[in-house]
Amino acid sequence: MRDMHRAETEKRPLPAIRLRSSISPREKRFKRIAYLYILPAVVFFILLNAYPLITVLWDSFQFKSLVNKTLTGFAGLANYREVVHNEYFRTALWNTVVWTVLSVAGEYLFGIITALALNQNVKGRTLFRAFIIVPWVVPILIAGLTWTWMLTPDYGVINLWLVKLGLLKEPYYWLGELNTALLTVVFVNIWRSFPFYTISLLAALQSVSRDIIEAAAIDGAGIRTRFWRIVMPQLKTVSLTIIFIHVIWTAINFDFIFIMTEGGPLHSSETLPIMIYRYAMEEYNFGNASALASMMLGFMMSGFILYYLISVRKNRG
Amino acid sequence: MKLKAISGILAMALILTLLAACGSKGSSENGSSASPSASESASASASASESAGSGDSGKPITLNMWAALDSTEAGKKTLAKIEAFNNLQKDVQVNVQIISYDVMHDKLIAAINAGDAPDLTWGLSEWFGELNKMDALADMTPYIDKWEDKSKIFPNVLDAVTVDGKVKALPNYLGIRALLYHKDILAQAGYNAPPKTWDELLKMASVIKEKTGKEAFGIAGKGVRSPQELMMYLAQNGLTVADRQADGKYKNTWADNPDQLKKAAEVFKFYQDLLATKTIKSDAKTWGWEEEDQNFALGQYAMVVNGPWMEGRAKDNPDTMKDVEIAAPIYSEKPATFLEVAMLFPFKSDHPDATWKLASYLIGKDYQTEINYAGNSPRSDVQATNKWGKDFLALAPQGQVFPPVSLSGITTALEDSLARAMLKNDKPEVVAQWLSDAINESLRKTGELSGS
Repeated sequence: MRDMHRAETEKRPLPAIRLRSSISPREKRFKRIAYLYILPAVVFFILLNAYPLITVLWDSFQFKSLVNKTLTGFAGLANYREVVHNEYFRTALWNTVVWTVLSVAGEYLFGIITALALNQNVKGRTLFRAFIIVPWVVPILIAGLTWTWMLTPDYGVINLWLVKLGLLKEPYYWLGELNTALLTVVFVNIWRSFPFYTISLLAALQSVSRDIIEAAAIDGAGIRTRFWRIVMPQLKTVSLTIIFIHVIWTAINFDFIFIMTEGGPLHSSETLPIMIYRYAMEEYNFGNASALASMMLGFMMSGFILYYLISVRKNRG
Repeated sequence: MKLKAISGILAMALILTLLAACGSKGSSENGSSASPSASESASASASASESAGSGDSGKPITLNMWAALDSTEAGKKTLAKIEAFNNLQKDVQVNVQIISYDVMHDKLIAAINAGDAPDLTWGLSEWFGELNKMDALADMTPYIDKWEDKSKIFPNVLDAVTVDGKVKALPNYLGIRALLYHKDILAQAGYNAPPKTWDELLKMASVIKEKTGKEAFGIAGKGVRSPQELMMYLAQNGLTVADRQADGKYKNTWADNPDQLKKAAEVFKFYQDLLATKTIKSDAKTWGWEEEDQNFALGQYAMVVNGPWMEGRAKDNPDTMKDVEIAAPIYSEKPATFLEVAMLFPFKSDHPDATWKLASYLIGKDYQTEINYAGNSPRSDVQATNKWGKDFLALAPQGQVFPPVSLSGITTALEDSLARAMLKNDKPEVVAQWLSDAINESLRKTGELSGS
């Protein structure tokens, strides 16, 4: 009986076919025009995104060197092996994690502190709100070079102040020592990027209902309780969005580190993007560079998928 | 219908624009190179035409040349000399594209791979092995062998542009290194002459520091100059970065020879001693050439091994540079200095005769006398007149050059080895062993390692 019913169902015309036959010529024309309108976007996507991405993936399995023409052909996983066995790969991977985590954490911390401060009813609040954005609008090249000068031991103003204040006995080369180079660039990166957090979080803070906060205060909730139980939950969506965007932006950041240290001294501030640059533009080994770029793409996509899955599970819950 | 037509036209326009943007340059009749972009080129040619047909057809041959000229007097003078070449005869006309050394290497590698190399370009000696390995350079041997001025080029300079018995580049100008010292600082410390050896320098350093408050010496610990200085110290201790082997390829042999490894370790020990005895400033371990030159020009320390371009600093800082004298670099076992041979690279093309005509003009006595008069000419018959010229030129015979192999990985390894010695404080023997392995690994990657 069940089989007969299934057979009848299969004989029925598909709804989609019926739907298609019901499309009027006018609708068909609109559809064609719609396709025409999205054509430029598709062309741009193919030329600027899909093609380079597929080329990088393809090149990662090829021997491809601009300066050694004898090195050609299918490489299998040789490029990946070479990259992973590179003496500085682990350092670069670790530096990328440190650079990303400390930068984003620092930016968020400074961002939320300044946003909370600028959300208070203090005198000159508008002026402070305008000034706080300054580091973020300074071009990275200018900011990087200026900080490099300020941190120089011979004539840098920061060393001069630190020595005058008695905090240092003699000038210190912050960007030239193995244990401080990366942390110094992280600090400068935080300085430059936190205003973006400030502005975003300030906007979110202004949408937090004062009535609820006042009601909680009347009910005896202290400042800390009000902040953690009422304000922070309402900043959650904005926070997660800007943190997530900045994790990606920071992990793939190249310019700040390159301007200030070029990944040195002795690779102590070298991150994966700098390493990709070295492979491509110093060794001209595009096979290795593509392998590392593909691996980095894999890392980033894994993080993105993981975040997506966790979000979906939480939302379902 | 109207909307549809407009949409179609817009889409077509977009596609045509994209196709036009992806289009290639106008072809050159000679098939050698492109005309430069308007923004970067400064045409020295009276004719603004594209590369023309051969001299046989009556039209002049237009050569494209890249040069790292700047807007200084020297740059203008060089451009004027090239224009004079164009006016002197009509068979060969030169189109000069000005590109700084900072970006020239990248552009050159890309241009060669795109089959779009210039006919002739300025370049650094560090690129020679790489360009030769790419089989992009033209063989100038038949021309230079017939050239009447061949004997006027310093023999070791000619060797530096020769690989496998073939002359694949031509010397443009020299950057010989000498010991520059502030006579007044040494006099203040009670010395009337600079040190001759590493040991003498280390002994004098504490006295100079005590009596003048200034460090005795300066080095480049990072950047393009640090491998050049390290190579000089290695040469002074009887070592080379890589030696040619029986199979025609190269190898660093220190790890195979305990004596060589010991000598290499001594060089790194010397660097560590410079730092430990405060002969150099503590941050000099990460100085690039800018800091090295600037601090010396300001009289911040007493001595440095540097090039004739410091004459320019003497003009900019007349007060602090007036006491500067020039001597041979300090050494350990044998006197040696770094001989930077800035080269002219001739690329393979359909008109090598025309390229040679231009190249021989650029290394000829007339051009060299006018442009490289300050002791940086590769010709022995172009005599410098002041101390910046003759004192540097006197050191040319002891000049050492990099081996003709792909150097990008090797110079990075040389730079890293200094950081390992001075920043990481690795033992000198460990650094020497590491550097030997790293040089051979770089040779392996470029297919130039002996036995690979």
